[in-house]
Amino acid sequence: MSDPVVLLPCFVAVPLAAAFVNSLLGKRIHWLSDLLGSLTPLILLGLSLLAVQAVRADSVLVYQVGGWKLPIGIAMVMDGLTSFMLVTVNMVTFAIAVYARDYMERYTSKEMFYTLFLLMLAGMNGVIVSGDLFNLFVFLEIAAVASYALVAFGTERHELEAAFKYAVMGTVGSLFILLGIVFLYSVTSTLNMADMGQMLAKQKDTNLILMVSVLFLMGFGLKAALVPFHAWLPDAHPSAPAPISAMLSGVLIKTLGIYALSRIFFNVIGLTPAVSSILMFLGTLSMVVGVLLAIGQRDLKRLLAYSSISQIGYVVLGIGLATPLGILGGLLHLFNHSVFKALLFLNSGALEYATGTRDLEAMGGLRKKMPVTSTTSFVASMSIAGMPPFGGFWSKLLIIMAAVQAGHLGYALWAVIVSVLTLALFARVIKNAFLGNLDDRWQGVREVPAFMQASMMALAFICLVSGTLLIPGIREVFLNQATEIFVKGSDYSILILGNI
Amino acid sequence: MTWFEQEIFYVDPLAISVGICIAFFAVLTLFYSWGYMPRTRGSLSYYLYILLTLATALGAVFASNLIVLLVCWGLTGVFLYLLIGYGTKERTPATAKKALIIIGGTDAFMMLGIALMGHLSGSLDIQHIRLTLDHPPAVVAFLCLLIGILAKAGAIPLHTWIVDTAEDAPTPVTAFLPASVDKLLGIYLLARMVLDLFVMTPAIYTVLMAIGTVTILWAGMMMLVQQDFKRLLGYCAVSQVGYVLLGIGTGHPLGIAGGLFHMVNHAIYKSCLFFSGGAVEQKSQTTDVERMGGMARQMPVIFVTFLIAALSVSGVPPLNGFASKWMVYQGIIETGREGGVAWILWLVVAMFGSAMTLAGMMKLVHAIFLGQPAADRQDTGDQSEKTPLLMYIPPVLLALLCILFGIWAYALPLKHLIFPIFEQELIFPGIWQPTLATVLILIGIGLGLILFISGRLAKTMRQTDVFIGGETLDAVPGMRVSGGAFYNTVQELPVFRSVFSLAQKGALDPYVMGSRITLGIHRYLGNFHTGILSTYLSWCFLGMMILFFVLLFR
Repeated sequence: MSDPVVLLPCFVAVPLAAAFVNSLLGKRIHWLSDLLGSLTPLILLGLSLLAVQAVRADSVLVYQVGGWKLPIGIAMVMDGLTSFMLVTVNMVTFAIAVYARDYMERYTSKEMFYTLFLLMLAGMNGVIVSGDLFNLFVFLEIAAVASYALVAFGTERHELEAAFKYAVMGTVGSLFILLGIVFLYSVTSTLNMADMGQMLAKQKDTNLILMVSVLFLMGFGLKAALVPFHAWLPDAHPSAPAPISAMLSGVLIKTLGIYALSRIFFNVIGLTPAVSSILMFLGTLSMVVGVLLAIGQRDLKRLLAYSSISQIGYVVLGIGLATPLGILGGLLHLFNHSVFKALLFLNSGALEYATGTRDLEAMGGLRKKMPVTSTTSFVASMSIAGMPPFGGFWSKLLIIMAAVQAGHLGYALWAVIVSVLTLALFARVIKNAFLGNLDDRWQGVREVPAFMQASMMALAFICLVSGTLLIPGIREVFLNQATEIFVKGSDYSILILGNI
Repeated sequence: MTWFEQEIFYVDPLAISVGICIAFFAVLTLFYSWGYMPRTRGSLSYYLYILLTLATALGAVFASNLIVLLVCWGLTGVFLYLLIGYGTKERTPATAKKALIIIGGTDAFMMLGIALMGHLSGSLDIQHIRLTLDHPPAVVAFLCLLIGILAKAGAIPLHTWIVDTAEDAPTPVTAFLPASVDKLLGIYLLARMVLDLFVMTPAIYTVLMAIGTVTILWAGMMMLVQQDFKRLLGYCAVSQVGYVLLGIGTGHPLGIAGGLFHMVNHAIYKSCLFFSGGAVEQKSQTTDVERMGGMARQMPVIFVTFLIAALSVSGVPPLNGFASKWMVYQGIIETGREGGVAWILWLVVAMFGSAMTLAGMMKLVHAIFLGQPAADRQDTGDQSEKTPLLMYIPPVLLALLCILFGIWAYALPLKHLIFPIFEQELIFPGIWQPTLATVLILIGIGLGLILFISGRLAKTMRQTDVFIGGETLDAVPGMRVSGGAFYNTVQELPVFRSVFSLAQKGALDPYVMGSRITLGIHRYLGNFHTGILSTYLSWCFLGMMILFFVLLFR
C-alpha cells in the first residue's frame, strides 16, 4: 500500500459494504452471512494493525473526504488513540463474530443479525476515525440504533421492554449530545474538531463552555453508563443475545461513551480541573455503586452488566486523573475490560447455551462437563478481579499508582475496596457455576461447539498476556502513542491542521 | 516511568534462609502427596500447581522489585485457591472462595501500600527504600502491607481462612501452604519491612505486639473447643503466628531473631502435625476427635512423630519450639528494660498461650492416639489400607528436626539460618543451654526408668486391672472417655461463653461481617432500581442539574 491514508475510509466502508451485501444476498446464500460476519472484522483487525504501524511512522494521518480541503471538508483522522481503539474494537468484535457463528443458530434470521452487527461495527469504527464532530454524532447514532435493534433481537417480552427503555434513554442522551454540538457550532461556525479546538481556545464565553460540558458529560456519560446515568444498562445488556451483550459491554459503551467523551474533553474543549475532578468523582461513584449492585445478583448476565458499570468507573477514574500514568492505566483497563468482559459474557452465553439458564443458584459443578468454558471463565474472572499476572492486575495497579501519585489517596482506597468486592463477586460466580457437586439435571450437559470454544480460548489468551503491553518496547508502539494524544490536549488541533 | 528498568531479583541472608525453608517444605510435600493424593488423570495438574507455588514463593522471597514481589505473592494466592479445590468435602468450594477473597482482597491493599511506598520514596526497589514511620502516608503504607501479611500468615482478624482451609483442603496442601509456605512468606515480608523497608516507631511495635497477643489468646481459646482435629491444628497454627508477631514486635534483635526462628520451627512442627494427622485421617477415614482413639497401637511411628511435634509446639524443653519461644520471651524482657509495664502483660499472655497450646495438643494426643477406639470403628481397624512408606518420610524427618533444632539450637539453625540475617552479634542474657539441659533431662528419665524397672524386678508392687465400679470396660461402650468431652467445660466458663457465642455468629470474622454489610447495601440500592423508565430519566436530569450547579458554583 503506497499511501497509508487510504486505510482510513476502509474502516467505515468495508463493514458498511459487507452489511449491504449481506442484507441483499444473506437470505439466499446461507454461508455468506457467516463468512461476511467473521471475515469483515478480521480484515478490519488486519487493517488496524497496519494503521498502528502507519501511525508509528507518521503520528497523524488525515484523510479529506471527497478531496475537500480542511476545515471545510469532512476529515477522518488517524492518530495513536484512534489506532489503539480500532485494534481493541476490531479484535474483540472478531472474536465475538466467530462465537456468534454457532451461538446464533438458535435464533431465526441469522443474516439480519449479521447485518445489524456489521452496521454497529461500522458505526463504532466511524466514531473512532471521525475528525468531525457532526459525523461523530451520525456514526454514534448508527451504532446506537443498530444496538437498539440487536437488544430486541430475541423479540421476547422482556427483550422488547429492555430495548424500548434503552432506545428512549439512548435517544435522550443522543439529543443532549446533539444540542451540545449545536451550541458549539453556533459559537465556532465549524464542525471540524481540530478547527473547533482552536476556535474554542480563543473563546472567552466560559458559561457556554460550561453548559456544553454538562450536556456532553450527561450525553456521553449515559452512553458510557456512568452513575447516575446508568439505569438503562442492567436491563439492556442482559436481554441481548450473548454475543451482543459482549459487544455492548465490551466495546460499544467504550467507543460511544469513553472514547467520544475523552476525545472531546481532552482535544476539543480542553480539560479543566473542574471537569477532571467531576470525571474522577463520577468514575469512583460508578465503580462503587456498580459493584455493590452486582454483588447479590442471581442472574449471571445482569451481574456482569452491573460489573461493567463498575469497571467503566475504573477507566474514567484513570483518564480523569489526567496524568500520563493515569491515562495509561485507564486506557490499558479499557483494553483489558473489552477483552475480559466480552469473554465473561461469552462464557455466560455458553452456560446458557448448554444449560438453558442464567440463574447462578441453579448451576453448579459444571467444571467437569464444560472444561473450556470453566477455564476461560476462571481466567477472565481472575483478570477482572485484578489477580496477577492477568491483564486486569496491571491496569488496576497503574490506576491505583496514578491516583496515589496525583495525591488522591481517597480514590485509590476506593479503587482497592472495589477490587476486593469484585474479587468476591467473581469468586462467587466461579463457585456457584463451576465448583461443587453436579446437579442431576445437568448430567446431559455438553461443552459448547468448537467455534465458540475457540473464540473463548483466544480471548482468555489475550487476558493472560495483555500485561505484556506494558513491557518497554511494546508499550511505545501501542499504549504510549494513545496516551500522548491525551497528554497533548488542545495542542492536538495544531498537529492535525498542520498536517494537511 | 523508569520503574520497569529495575533490578528484579536480589539475594541476601534473610531471603536465602526463607528460600531454603520453602524449597525444603515443597520437596517434603511432593513426597507426601505422592502417597496421599489419589492418582487420577487430574492429579498431574496438582503437582504442577505445587511446583508453580514453589517457584512463585521463591520469586516473592528473592524479589528486589516490589511489583515483582506483589505479582509472585498474588500468584501463590491463586495457586492456593486452585490447590484447595482438590479437597473433596462438601464445603470445599466455599472454603476455597473464602481463602481467595481474603488472600486476594488483601493483595489489593498491598497494591495500595506499594503504590504509596513508591510515591513516597521514589523507588520500588527493596534495596533503596527506607521510610520513616513519622507521617501518616507512610503509616498507611505500612498498615496496607501489614493487612496483606496478617492475611497471609493468618493472624487476627484475618485468620479465618486458615481454619476453614485446614478442615476442607487436602492435608498436604494445608501442610504446605497455610502451615508453612504462606507463614514463611508473610513473616519474611514483615521481617523485611521491620529490618529494611521502614524505620519503626514504638507505637507501631506496640500495635504488632498487641495483634500478636490477641492472636495467641483468641486462637488458643478457640483451639480448645474444636471437634475436628484438622480445624484444631488450624487454630493452633494461628496462635503460633501470635508468637512470631510478638517476637518481631519487640523490636529488639533478640526478639526478632526469636520470631524468625519460631517461624521456621513453626513450619517444621506444624507440617509434622498435619502430615501425621493426614496419615491418621487416611487410616481412620474421619477427622472428628469424638470418633477416633487408640490409633497409637495401629500407627506407632506416627504416634511418636505426632507426640514430638505436639510437645514441641507446646514449648516443652528441649524441643525446638521451646528454644524459639525462649528467645521471644527474652526479647520481651529486654523491652522491659526501657520501662513501662506492658511487657509483663505480653509475657504473661505468651506463657498462658503456651499452656493453652499444651492443653489443646494433649486433647488431640489423647483423643486420636490413646484411649479406646470409637465404638463404630473398633472392628474396621485392620481392614483399612496400609499407609504408604512415602507418607512416613516427611513426618519422621520433621520430628527429627524438631529434636535437632531444639538440642543444637545454636549450633545448627540459629548459626546458619537466623544469625546471618543480623549484622550485629546477638547477646543472650538468659541462661538456657539446651545441650546441658538435654543431658540432664535424659539422666532424669534414665533414673526414673531405673527406679521403675528395679521396682518391677523387686516385685514389691501389686498389679491389677483398672477398677471401674465392677464393670468390665469392653462390655460398656459408653464408658469410653473420648478426647473432646473433657474440654467442653471450657465453653461453660463465664467469660469464654459470651466470646464463643459471638464467634459462633461470625461477629468476629471480617469475611462474614463484610459480606453481611455488602449485601445489606446491595439490597438497599436494589430498591431504587424499579425498572420504571420515568424514574431512570429523572435521575439523568437530576444528575445533569447537579453537574451544572457544581460547574457553575465551584
